[in-house]
Amino acid sequence: MNVAADIEARELSYAEAIREAMDVALASDERVILMGEDIGVYGGAFQVTGDLIDTYGPDRVIDTPISELGGAGVAVGAALTGLRPIFEFQFSDFATLAMEQIVNQAAKVRYMLGGAVSVPVVMRFPAGSGTGAAAQHSQSLEAWFAHVPGLKVVQPSTPHDAKGLLLAALEDPDPVMIFEHKLLYKMRGAVPEGHYTVPIGKAEIRREGVDVSIVATSIMVHKVLEAAEMLAGEGIEAEVIDLRTVRPLDRETVLASVRKTSRLVCVYEAVKTLGIGAEISAMVAESDAFDYLDAPIVRLGGAECPIPYNPELEKAAVPQVEDIIEAVRAQVKGRL
Amino acid sequence: MADTSPDNIPFAISAYTPERLRGALRQMYLIRKFEEGAEDSYTRGLIHGTMHLSIGQEASAVGACIGLSETDKITSTHRGHGHSIAKGADVGRMFAEFFGKETGYCKGRGGSMHIADVGKGNLGANGIVGGGLPIAVGAALSAKRLETGAVTVCFFGDGANNEGAFHEALNMAAIWKLPVIFLCENNKYGMSMSTDRSTAVASIADRAVAYAMAGASVDGNDFSAVSEASEAAIARARAGEGPSLIEAVTYRWRGHSKSDRNRYRSKEEIAEWMACDPIPRMVQMLSDHGIIGAGDAARIEAEAEAEIVQGIAFAKESPAPALSDVTRDVYTKPAA
Amino acid sequence: MPKVDMDMTSGRIVSWHVAEGAEVTAGDPLFDIETDKAAMEVESPASGVLQHVRAAEGDDVTIGQPVGWIYAEDEDVGAVPDASRPEEGQATPSRPSEEVPRPRSPEETQKIRATPRARKLAREAGVALGDIEGSALRGRVQHADVAGVLDRVRADPVSGSLPVIRSGGDEGVPLVLIHGFASDASSWAGLLRFLPKDVPIYRMELPAHGKSPARPASSFQDLVRLVRQAFDLLDLKAAHLVGHSLGGALALALADTRPRQVSRLTLLSPAGLGPEINGKTIAGITRAKRAESLAPWLKTLVATPEIITDNYVQAAWSQRGAPGLRDAQRDLAAALFPDGTQSFDLRAALDRITVPARIIWGREDRIIPWRHALGAPGAVSLNLFERTGHLSHIERAEEVAVLIGQ
Repeated sequence: MNVAADIEARELSYAEAIREAMDVALASDERVILMGEDIGVYGGAFQVTGDLIDTYGPDRVIDTPISELGGAGVAVGAALTGLRPIFEFQFSDFATLAMEQIVNQAAKVRYMLGGAVSVPVVMRFPAGSGTGAAAQHSQSLEAWFAHVPGLKVVQPSTPHDAKGLLLAALEDPDPVMIFEHKLLYKMRGAVPEGHYTVPIGKAEIRREGVDVSIVATSIMVHKVLEAAEMLAGEGIEAEVIDLRTVRPLDRETVLASVRKTSRLVCVYEAVKTLGIGAEISAMVAESDAFDYLDAPIVRLGGAECPIPYNPELEKAAVPQVEDIIEAVRAQVKGRL
Repeated sequence: MADTSPDNIPFAISAYTPERLRGALRQMYLIRKFEEGAEDSYTRGLIHGTMHLSIGQEASAVGACIGLSETDKITSTHRGHGHSIAKGADVGRMFAEFFGKETGYCKGRGGSMHIADVGKGNLGANGIVGGGLPIAVGAALSAKRLETGAVTVCFFGDGANNEGAFHEALNMAAIWKLPVIFLCENNKYGMSMSTDRSTAVASIADRAVAYAMAGASVDGNDFSAVSEASEAAIARARAGEGPSLIEAVTYRWRGHSKSDRNRYRSKEEIAEWMACDPIPRMVQMLSDHGIIGAGDAARIEAEAEAEIVQGIAFAKESPAPALSDVTRDVYTKPAA
Repeated sequence: MPKVDMDMTSGRIVSWHVAEGAEVTAGDPLFDIETDKAAMEVESPASGVLQHVRAAEGDDVTIGQPVGWIYAEDEDVGAVPDASRPEEGQATPSRPSEEVPRPRSPEETQKIRATPRARKLAREAGVALGDIEGSALRGRVQHADVAGVLDRVRADPVSGSLPVIRSGGDEGVPLVLIHGFASDASSWAGLLRFLPKDVPIYRMELPAHGKSPARPASSFQDLVRLVRQAFDLLDLKAAHLVGHSLGGALALALADTRPRQVSRLTLLSPAGLGPEINGKTIAGITRAKRAESLAPWLKTLVATPEIITDNYVQAAWSQRGAPGLRDAQRDLAAALFPDGTQSFDLRAALDRITVPARIIWGREDRIIPWRHALGAPGAVSLNLFERTGHLSHIERAEEVAVLIGQ
């Protein structure tokens, strides 16, 4: 698997890492195709596919019409019949137009057919707020998909994981939904060359600590790490878990951490109510780790409103570093 | 109504061997007897849920599939029993699926609306109106990209022609010149709403103009007419000339589903269509051209009847799924 | 209190052989008594579980008065049976006293704000949440609140037992730490920083030390008995004993008699492995009436005198300020180390024990020569630290913690 792990990692941006993963896949497997709106000569709305069309041509880097439902369905049908499509939604918000094909078809065909088929489709969703694109171009809808048995949902937070999870998704026989935070596209980090995978369903402990376990997803991992450094100055050592996969959840990593620290904080950008934090909290409350809790669980999620346009309002609608510090401090000091 | 006079030889008589024609008649009887057997089993309380019967539509299913090989694909609809049989499915395994048995095509997980037989190129019935349209386009994309030579026949009803998926799918199939045949079984009603009320164009085949593809409207109760239009479309597809749209005008004798109270159409209308029963018309055509002799039709019908009795017995005797397997086949590789 | 002598009117309980709540078989030694004329062992009259002990060690009890009850296996253990109280006030059993919370009914407990972790600890330790003041918002009881109360509870004399201070977590084999002569439980503080957080840690305090400054102990055997009794009360299924100096000798004696409960033994500069001991330092420490006269003797305990800072001396001095402590320690030293000689010898015990054992010693120990360790059998591990004196758990806290954790 990790054939290139020993090759010295260079720094790539998150977008470049995704592009490189697609390049590696296109080069090594004729069955891999890319589909999406403006992914050809335009290079994708966020320049993720870039110039791949120059290498692989329009038959494998396929511009679709602005037809999210139809396009997603074509990808599902192609996956059912031997291809391995990677379908890019221009914005994750537009997946609402394609929910039928994702939820009724991709997720269920295998089960409905008694296991007779698999649907090895990968869908990529540029998600999240912070770009000033307002309510219909800034959502974090991953929990919708994570609620559907048959789908797998990942949220890479680093260039390394963005590439490794995409390649893992391609190897996975079932539909994998990849939520990429738009603000991470320019983030740089070490990325090994060649082919490697990051396991789906495995969280990563980004920082070890003993006083509180903070489970975060996507861009919030970085905000939490920043908060954790400041909290360390106050003597609070936070353990930071990058969930990486939302479905299936890495139960053991989260529970082991809570057993160790006795405190749980969940930080995610999506609207707080009925989100991933609720699932993590319930999972802990239902497990033997419950007996180790020494403070109320805290969820920090998006405000109960659409993402607003005004930049200050936009920031106020999602958790920020100061919110995390405040919440953890209150929890550890018994003020909750 | 097609002309069946001896001096104007119908397409089917000249296109197919007597053996294939007798096989087609057998399939039509099998569909009729299957639907009657299913209805009887339902009435006796042996079948759970609901079902959508295609009695009266046998000619379009068999006529559309007679030109296909096992490598060719079909996508089907909620009224899909006839399509499955026409694509070569085993009625015993179909009944077993209705009865929710482990030996059913979907191991009891799918039921009437999801029967598939992937090995024979049947990608499955679909519970969502229009759900199969983009999937068929995807299957055609695979065939083109992987150069399998397969064509895909996409069955759908008149109701689906007003779904967005229909328009997106036809457009993409046309711009990419994919080997797919959109076969609309226009049985006049989308549940209770007649095509006169639901559809702006007089003939669904007129929709083809919008997508720059060949369109034809045929008598869906005339086996020869359906097969003629289908063979022409298959030939275009195999020649790389892209998709076709065929409207097979037909009629369902029964209600939409088992809960239909039939308030939206008159007894006279139903009686009029029952007089155009596709099976006696097929028998007449075959005997007019010496394909079958006296008593052959009755013998084929009796054989079909016996096969159904045997199929129901197989289904009744088959084992039920184990309750512990309820989450099996959600994923190809279950989470650890 | 049985009458064992013709003219006996009362007897003094010297020691209990069986802890309250423990099982006893008829014929087993139950307690030792002392009369004006003789000391003797009293055997258990019945088999069952010892409960409601109402005569503590050292108490005088009139003959015919109950000192405790033995309940058959199925018998309902109710309230303290109605019997006239012993005449001497100090014989009141301390376990059901007010300081020790009793479990509340489930309904009462449910109304209390407490975290799951606090509830778990309270449940396991058998203390009532309702009596614990919560430090979190709206008085919610947290783990630290329960742990703090447990420290106090364990530190209270229970049935005449030695104070035992509990800290740490709830996982793994518990550590039981026994300090040395003229020291106390606080001397382990430096080591504690390096021990695993989740392991339960029990620190015993010897009589004439720490929280029982005036409590007399007349012989090494007396100390062994008290230590064993305190250990039995902890009711541990397994324990890792760590003893320093005199505490090392006591740990070894305990391991010798409790082989099933003691799973490991770590001895730091232990006494009992040879005759020599620095009598001058012992005398100097016990005699000191001021911090200034204590400091030079404390410096002989370590290889690097700079460790003994003014703050250290002040802290040590303040712990020695309790009334009666100096006298009690002087008497104890006279019994244990007469004429600068160790009066007890545990070399045979070290040969007998089969649990994994380790001896740790500083090569510059000026109190007990490290060469005593050379007589240990081959199965005992030996670690010697250069430039280290008698207090390896302070001078080499991190390394000693690592060895303990191995």
